[in-house]
Amino acid sequence: MEFPPVTHLFDWPSFLFSGSPLAVNKTVLIFLAAVVLTVGVFGLAARKRSLVPSGVQHVAEGGINFVENSIVMQTIGPEGKRFMPFFTTLFFFIFFANVFEVIPGIQFPANSRMAVPLLLAVLVWVIYNYVGIRRQGLGGYLKSSLFPPGVPKPLYLIVTPIELFSTFLIRPLSLAIRLWANMVAGHLLLVTFAVLSAALWGFGYVPSLLPFAALVLLTAFEIFVSGLQAFIFTILTAVYIGGAMHAEH
Amino acid sequence: MDKISRRCKRAAATVLVAVAVAVLTASPVSAAETIGGCMAEELNNLDWGGKSGAEAFEELEHAAHADGAPDETKDALESFEQRLEGCQSAQNPIIPEVNEIIWGGIAFVVLLALMQWKLFPAVRRAMDRRSEKIRSDLDAAEQARTEASEVKSRYEAEMADAQNEADRIIEEARSEADRVRVDLIARAEADAAEVRRRSAQDAKVAKSQAIQDLKSEVSEIVIGAAETVIRRNLDHDAQMEMIEDYIAQVGSRR
Repeated sequence: MEFPPVTHLFDWPSFLFSGSPLAVNKTVLIFLAAVVLTVGVFGLAARKRSLVPSGVQHVAEGGINFVENSIVMQTIGPEGKRFMPFFTTLFFFIFFANVFEVIPGIQFPANSRMAVPLLLAVLVWVIYNYVGIRRQGLGGYLKSSLFPPGVPKPLYLIVTPIELFSTFLIRPLSLAIRLWANMVAGHLLLVTFAVLSAALWGFGYVPSLLPFAALVLLTAFEIFVSGLQAFIFTILTAVYIGGAMHAEH
Repeated sequence: MDKISRRCKRAAATVLVAVAVAVLTASPVSAAETIGGCMAEELNNLDWGGKSGAEAFEELEHAAHADGAPDETKDALESFEQRLEGCQSAQNPIIPEVNEIIWGGIAFVVLLALMQWKLFPAVRRAMDRRSEKIRSDLDAAEQARTEASEVKSRYEAEMADAQNEADRIIEEARSEADRVRVDLIARAEADAAEVRRRSAQDAKVAKSQAIQDLKSEVSEIVIGAAETVIRRNLDHDAQMEMIEDYIAQVGSRR
């Protein structure tokens, strides 16, 4: 049994504009496909506009309802509705880029590359800090994030550095790494069980049944993880923006 | 107008932020290299004994392995081999690739722009329109129901009124009929009594008139007869004849 080098599982050679910063590889194509799919879903839903929704209209409208009811209303409240297009885009873009993990023939989660998770996390960092400063003023925002009320004064010696690190440094990193690491792990799991099934196939098909069954279950699990990670990324973004909007009480 | 310019500003800000983020994150990262490319590059950069590339490597290897080779030659070979090994080590997977950041950033920004200004509002409008239609339909149904129940109760009230009116009319007609009947009977009885009274009176008058007439007639007859008797003093036979004549005369006169 030969397990491919890890770099071969994640690092795809470019086939267009190689060597330039605009080099196109499989990862890039998957991100573009995620754009096309999202535009397709919402474009078709917008064009259909039938009174009784069906097919793709369900996906778009269900997605909007899900983002609104399960993310925005739970974390920010009605005020967060103006961020709805951003949250919806975030959710669908991440989900489609993730779910290529189980699409036959492609089988690669584009978010198992650090580029986009990091980019999105930094974008989220910029947005929630902007919202916080815009809402509370620079001083007010820093005060409410670094000096949470209700803490005995001497404890600020400990709390303030912790808050400084967690709010302004750890948050974007944890956001990016959570998504990236989950997709890396999922991809490795699927590859491992696929390689194991194929290798054991040579010893009569019976020994490979178990890893193959695990592979099938894991494929279903990874579809769930794709949605879950998109949901977690989006809801944490909403939590951060909501927290920046309202000073902590 | 104000809304549009604000939107444009927001769009420009989003694009700016995305580009800045992409550039900032990308700058410390070198472009992806393949292992072979890296090794070829290292080989090309090798410069030894006035030669470069593969020839220089051969020269260096030969010199380093020769007996009594100086330490710096050995060090040079070792450092070159380390550089080649460095090419084989996998790139840290947590370091993002520039091209993927740029393409991913472009993809996300384009998608966000399309969603923000075209797709999301369109789908949202359709959803709102549906909610509005369902709400107005429900309202209309509720209103129709209320109206219907109003009409029904009004109709029922009218029915009840009509029934009462009919009962009243029938009752009135009945009592009127009773009254008329009683009246008619009374009047008929009165008329009958009047007729009876009048006919009795007429009869009485006629009777007294007849008596009166008879009386005057008899008187006249008696007077006439007396006149005749007085005028002629006759014998019995003549008297009888005269009376009979007179009676006959009177009788023929009547």
